[in-house]
Amino acid sequence: MTDALVAPERRAGVGDVLLDVRDLRTYFHVMDGTVKAVDGVSFSVRRGGRLALVGESGCGKSVTALSIMRLIETPPGEFAGGQILFEGNDLLKMDNKRIRKVRGGEIAMIFQEPMTSLNPVMTVGDQIMEAVLIHQGVNKKGAQEIALSALQDVGVADPRRRLKQYPHELSGGMRQRIMIAMALSCNPKLIIADEPTTALDVTIQRQILELIKSIQERTGAALLLITHDLGVVAETVDDVAVMYAGRVVESGTVEEVLLNPRMPYTRGLLESIPSQGKRGQRLSAIKGTVPNPFRLPPGCKFGPRCPYAWDSCVEAEPELIQLGHDRTARCWLNDPRFAARRAAYDESFAREHP
Amino acid sequence: MDRSLPPEDPPDERAVTEDLEPGGPDYDVQLESLSQWQIAWKRFLRHRAALIGSVMFFGMVLIAIVGPFILQYDYYKIPVPDVHVNAGRPPSLAHLFGETGRLQWDVLTLVVNGVRYSLLIGVIASAMGAVIGTIVGGVAGYFGGWTDTILMRIVDALLALPLLFVILVFTKFLGSGNWISVTVIFGLFEWLGIARLVRAVMLSLREEDYVDAARAAGIRDRRIIFRHLIPNALSPIIVSTTLGVAGVIIGEAFISFLGFGVGFDTPTLGNILAGSLGFISQGNWWWAFFPGMAIVVIVLGINFMGDGLRDALDPRAKI
Repeated sequence: MTDALVAPERRAGVGDVLLDVRDLRTYFHVMDGTVKAVDGVSFSVRRGGRLALVGESGCGKSVTALSIMRLIETPPGEFAGGQILFEGNDLLKMDNKRIRKVRGGEIAMIFQEPMTSLNPVMTVGDQIMEAVLIHQGVNKKGAQEIALSALQDVGVADPRRRLKQYPHELSGGMRQRIMIAMALSCNPKLIIADEPTTALDVTIQRQILELIKSIQERTGAALLLITHDLGVVAETVDDVAVMYAGRVVESGTVEEVLLNPRMPYTRGLLESIPSQGKRGQRLSAIKGTVPNPFRLPPGCKFGPRCPYAWDSCVEAEPELIQLGHDRTARCWLNDPRFAARRAAYDESFAREHP
Repeated sequence: MDRSLPPEDPPDERAVTEDLEPGGPDYDVQLESLSQWQIAWKRFLRHRAALIGSVMFFGMVLIAIVGPFILQYDYYKIPVPDVHVNAGRPPSLAHLFGETGRLQWDVLTLVVNGVRYSLLIGVIASAMGAVIGTIVGGVAGYFGGWTDTILMRIVDALLALPLLFVILVFTKFLGSGNWISVTVIFGLFEWLGIARLVRAVMLSLREEDYVDAARAAGIRDRRIIFRHLIPNALSPIIVSTTLGVAGVIIGEAFISFLGFGVGFDTPTLGNILAGSLGFISQGNWWWAFFPGMAIVVIVLGINFMGDGLRDALDPRAKI
């Protein structure tokens, strides 16, 4: 195993750890009990790096993003444990004044719904300039210049006219460009994109992804992409963390995770992507549904849906097993004690994915 | 990987094409000319009752503003009564609305000056109510939790009081007779309904995505409430404030009629009516009729207008 612990070669421009989420626990206390939406999530994003959080609806990936921005309302929410270190400072311990400086200024967020993420009664220009005026220490004229160049950067034609327009005058793709312009206008160190393309047409999706990526590369900001689409992951990021039921269940570089998934859930996600090669075949799906957050199964949370599960999976939940440098999986298959099962799993994977 | 959108040279054509809707290139241009308020204005102009109401209300406003300057008589010059007709004179060419008993005021002069102060009291008190109500309701609705509970219980408690009697007591202690103090007292009680209304609207508005987006951009709560959310809640506030003017005018007329409101040195429609009380039985109908009609015209005008505004500002209504 020792040679596997050598750090994988990194893309140029990727530096030290910028955001380090450690054992984050975000709970919601509601009428029926406590929902542990995020329960011990750890991952890190390097300066200039690109990480995707992947998972089904309800797996806690959006709550993780909102926790980083401290946009969880407490109560009913509660940060029950863990740390979110941004440049070494714990975001969870910051007072309101400091966290406001981080929001928008150091970490910017792009939301899922461009149709509703812009205020309908404010002009596009006012909305972009608002954050610039707060974070950049410029006057109104300077803010307008920054807004104009941001709009140019995101490929908006005739930006001077757009500044005076209201959101309802723009198409969905155009609005998402505006949201991206808002995000990049303050030169953030980290951009969180929460399903930035889910609400868009397929043709626009690609443009927006390319745009986010090119801006990320040019500005050197780190990117935390939240998505349920593994196709998007493969094209956009370097590293990926797969989440299930409020936990990280597998993480590593995109190549490693997508080509050699060490957790059956990731494999299930991969196999449910339609592709050219599978034309005419029945599309495989992961059986069952996401577990009820009030009644999580004992042992491995994916156990009841897992085609490879056996007794051990019910008896105890596996730890996040270290498989290499920045490569982990939460599955008993990776425990040396179950090498025989691992071999069978590998064989079936090799058979199905030549 | 083919890069369909290099950032260095934004492909203008694509961005433009993306905007095109089936309507063709002109579509975008057309949209630009119709803001939210312009649409509302168009709807309002098509609303017949609203137009009639506006004519009634703004006609009275006009009379209140210019009337005192073009009238033949000055309210503040007490006429020398003609002892022979102590009971007042019916409408005539010289006095279109007749003359009062006792001091023989020109009723037209009374009504015009009364309209001026009644409107002033109504508009100022209602505007005060709108400002206080918007702030309290906005803060309560946005922050929720304890802030909301405390503020709304205060509102509930105040609403549980029989308002007119409280105002009667207040005016008695805090300088009855002075129209400004009466206005302030009405303003201090006018905000309750608006606070509830704004709170209710804020409760739904604060769940909007653009609130999260604004918070994620580091914008402080105060600015989110007053720059982002209140403008979105403006329609119900406008309607409620407009209707509030009518409420205050009637309320003021009521307490002045009872003699607890504005004193006779400042004419309001209420205290003019109060003055007529002893003379109606002598057949001086004009003394009560014309100020009464003025109240009816103003209040009806405001209510029609409020109805029209409600329809015009409702984004779901199609006319």
